[in-house]
Amino acid sequence: MPEWPRRLSEEVRQHLDDEYDALRARGVAHDEAMRRLAPDLEELASMRARPIDALAGDARYALRALRQSPLFAAVVVLTLALGIGATTAIFTVVDAVMLRPYGYPDMDRIVMLAETTRRGQTMSVAWQNFQDWRAQSHVFEQLALYRGMVVNLTGSDRPERLIASLASSNLFQALGMQPIAGRTFSSDEDRPGAPRVAIVSERFWRSHLGAAANAVGSSIVLDGEPATIVGVMPAAMRFPSRTTDVWLPLGPFVPGFPPDRGAHPGLFAVAKLASGVGVERASAEMDAIARRLERQYPISNTDHTVSVAPYYEQIVRNVRPALLALSCAVAFVLLIVCANLANLMLARGDARQREIAIREALGAPRWRIVQQLVTESVVMALAGGASGALLARWAVAAFVASRPTSVPRIDQIAVDLRVLLFTLIVSVATGVAFGLAPALRASAIDLVTSLKDAARATPGAARRLRALLVVAEIALALVLLVGAGLTIRSFAALTALDLGFDPSRVVTMRVALPNARYPELARWIAFHREVLARVAAMPGVETVGLNSATPLEGGASESEVRYEGQPPPRSASEDATTCLFQAATPDYFRAMGIAIVRGRAFTARDDAAGAPVAIVEEALARKFFPDGDPIGRRIAFEFAGGHGPAARPIWREIVGVVRHVRHYGLVREPDNLEVYAPLEQLPIWFRERRPTMTLFVRTALDPEQLAASIRQTVSSTDPEIPVFGVTTMDSYVGQATEQPRVNMTLLSAFGGLALVLAGLGIYGVLSYLVGRRTQEIGIRLALGATRADVLRLVVGHGMALASAGIAIGLAAAWALTRSLGTLLYGVSPHDSATFAAIAALLAVVAFVASYVPGRRATRVDPMRALRAE
Amino acid sequence: MQHIASRILDRELKKGSAELLILSLVEDRPRHGYDLSKLIESRSGGVLTFRVASLYPLLYRLEKRGWIQGRWVEKAGQRRRRYYRLTAAGAQMLASQRSTWKEFVDAINRIAGVEHA
Repeated sequence: MPEWPRRLSEEVRQHLDDEYDALRARGVAHDEAMRRLAPDLEELASMRARPIDALAGDARYALRALRQSPLFAAVVVLTLALGIGATTAIFTVVDAVMLRPYGYPDMDRIVMLAETTRRGQTMSVAWQNFQDWRAQSHVFEQLALYRGMVVNLTGSDRPERLIASLASSNLFQALGMQPIAGRTFSSDEDRPGAPRVAIVSERFWRSHLGAAANAVGSSIVLDGEPATIVGVMPAAMRFPSRTTDVWLPLGPFVPGFPPDRGAHPGLFAVAKLASGVGVERASAEMDAIARRLERQYPISNTDHTVSVAPYYEQIVRNVRPALLALSCAVAFVLLIVCANLANLMLARGDARQREIAIREALGAPRWRIVQQLVTESVVMALAGGASGALLARWAVAAFVASRPTSVPRIDQIAVDLRVLLFTLIVSVATGVAFGLAPALRASAIDLVTSLKDAARATPGAARRLRALLVVAEIALALVLLVGAGLTIRSFAALTALDLGFDPSRVVTMRVALPNARYPELARWIAFHREVLARVAAMPGVETVGLNSATPLEGGASESEVRYEGQPPPRSASEDATTCLFQAATPDYFRAMGIAIVRGRAFTARDDAAGAPVAIVEEALARKFFPDGDPIGRRIAFEFAGGHGPAARPIWREIVGVVRHVRHYGLVREPDNLEVYAPLEQLPIWFRERRPTMTLFVRTALDPEQLAASIRQTVSSTDPEIPVFGVTTMDSYVGQATEQPRVNMTLLSAFGGLALVLAGLGIYGVLSYLVGRRTQEIGIRLALGATRADVLRLVVGHGMALASAGIAIGLAAAWALTRSLGTLLYGVSPHDSATFAAIAALLAVVAFVASYVPGRRATRVDPMRALRAE
Repeated sequence: MQHIASRILDRELKKGSAELLILSLVEDRPRHGYDLSKLIESRSGGVLTFRVASLYPLLYRLEKRGWIQGRWVEKAGQRRRRYYRLTAAGAQMLASQRSTWKEFVDAINRIAGVEHA
């Protein structure tokens, strides 16, 4: 006699014995008898097991049930994959950018300080002001100063440009960072005249120093001067930017800073708040200091205050609105997916009502059936989650590969274990969310009713639930689509903006000549002249020009500008008009396609020997000379002898007027007026601190193809000078529109998905309803209703659901789109055209989704429908 | 097609009427589980069969509802077996289910035009 599992009841074991005996008595061999009993045993195992086994049994059962309806399973898993995949992808980005702790131990105490005018304009910090801040403030544990710069690394086979930062010796303490090798700067090294030392990044240490243990103490050549490496910073040190490769003490550079308080030489302050001090208190104290300085130095400091902002805020400020909007969008998509699947499961629950009734009849308690049904939906959700994680991996990899510049910590964005754990939780939650209600519904079956009615009638509660789900789906889809529609309109407005130049077929690259190598101005200018001549001689090059600023890149030099005869201002900030001044070569305007509205471009005669000239933009001409011809009038943006009333303007004659060029990106532009001076008449501000010049080459051919050979030509002028930032103006434009484009693309994709799902939802519910009501429709037709009546009945039902959804959706969208505010340009968050168009779009989709089952209903044969009962 | 349809019918009918079958079989005398399963199979000409995993839970449930009552019976030379007998409440339920079933079958007959069910 075989041994049966002990946990089976005596009775059941006896039954199995009896069955076994009976089989043996009929001459069945032992093995065959056991084989015949195997299904019974398997079933017993799944029914009587402890909960954990029951779950495994349920999962097996669920898989079997899904295998039996592969199309249903495929639709469900695919829908889930899209919903969970999108959620995972967005979470990956949000997690890396906003949720994961940054590498600084006391991130919440690190604040950034800048000088601002009381009108909100941000400036860098005047060196003299910083000295007073340091002396007078008590709210900081550390108050440090830094300045970004670019240095040329030479001494190896190919010169290289490194992102560097000047740092006061306590910068590392302010950030709480310890070197992984060596030490940070001493205060002695942070003084004028101190021997050159440097701290390098871990990345530089690995890529350039072979991660050598004796790297500390070795030396590198920066801008032609040797510097001793004293420390290596860990990878977590990403200040001021993640691309910073080398830090140099600020002190030795201080003598180069302008001696007056009115100059803001690109310095910024970062501080660690003293323990127990909040941002408000620090702000209040800095404001008090700023007011004292204002009284003490009215000429330079009038209207100036200090902004104190948490560092974390500064990092995420630009991406947070977009990430929040996308997180909401993706949550909506997931909700729509749940609603859709819940509906599908309800329909399936109806179809399986008999199966469930039978299980109830066989003694399965209700919770057991609910558990079984929910397990089924969770199994599907897990399958969907697994596929979704794959989709997310691809999507995130593609996103990172597109190298978006507006996203911090882009290098750390990847689908990893933490993200997968999130996906797992979301999958299970999704499975329960879309499976529970239908399971409760389906298991609440009255045995007798379901036998009597032969499972014909859908209980009213389930019908209402289905209608509610469809209405919710449409409302959510509408909100998403309105959001997508607004970003599309905003993007269209952005791309329609007049840049002021023609970006097509323009190659650009930068050349930074170190002062140490080209100390005399004449040689510096001669080098650039030589570069222009060499590039202009290349085949395929139409025009070539140089400018000290790059449109759309910002970071140009600003100064006060005034015209001859203008009464002098009483203080530096009062009524002063600021301009963005640039040094350009004659052909710059032609190379960039900047239209000359009046007068002329610079010529070769506008050199050191010629009369000082300038070209201004239209707005400046209008502002200064509203009634007369600006050509021949004189303006000044350079002042000998510092700022204030004593300053002596250096006049330049206006020879041309050009269109406004967007310099600070597409959207927000400070109200600076643009002024150009000829490179050969270099503005005095540039004589001491020479700008990095950008080369602009308009090509006759594909600019991408020419870029490499142009770079080579430039390099050949002086092989010791690195040429960097080789790109096209088109890609600058692409970068400037990147975030809006990403927002638009993702929101549109989510909106499109929502639209399809909502359409399927309506279609599904109506198809199901038509299927259920075939008999009723047959009777109606038999009683004389026309096919048009039937079509109206079905479509009317669909449109009623759609109208409710659209109405709720419009109200919700109206309330929610306001939060899109900062993401939109040139379109109101309540843009009525967008709202109307999206409502109409959904109505059309709802109509089509209702019409198809409606048509099917009209084809019902009354006689067949009646006979079918 | 015919085959699949009849198989579905078989599954649904036999399981839907499971309670009725059990109650009917223990009406005249107490029976044990194996006996019940063999009777259902033989009397239905092999059309209806019950799996162990279905039968016993149903028996326990019917017992819990008080429609049948089981007790262990020892017989000489045999191992003890659990016999189920119909209770008064069970008899009432049986009568009610019989009439429901009859109504149902009659209704189907009237519509489907089957002469003898």
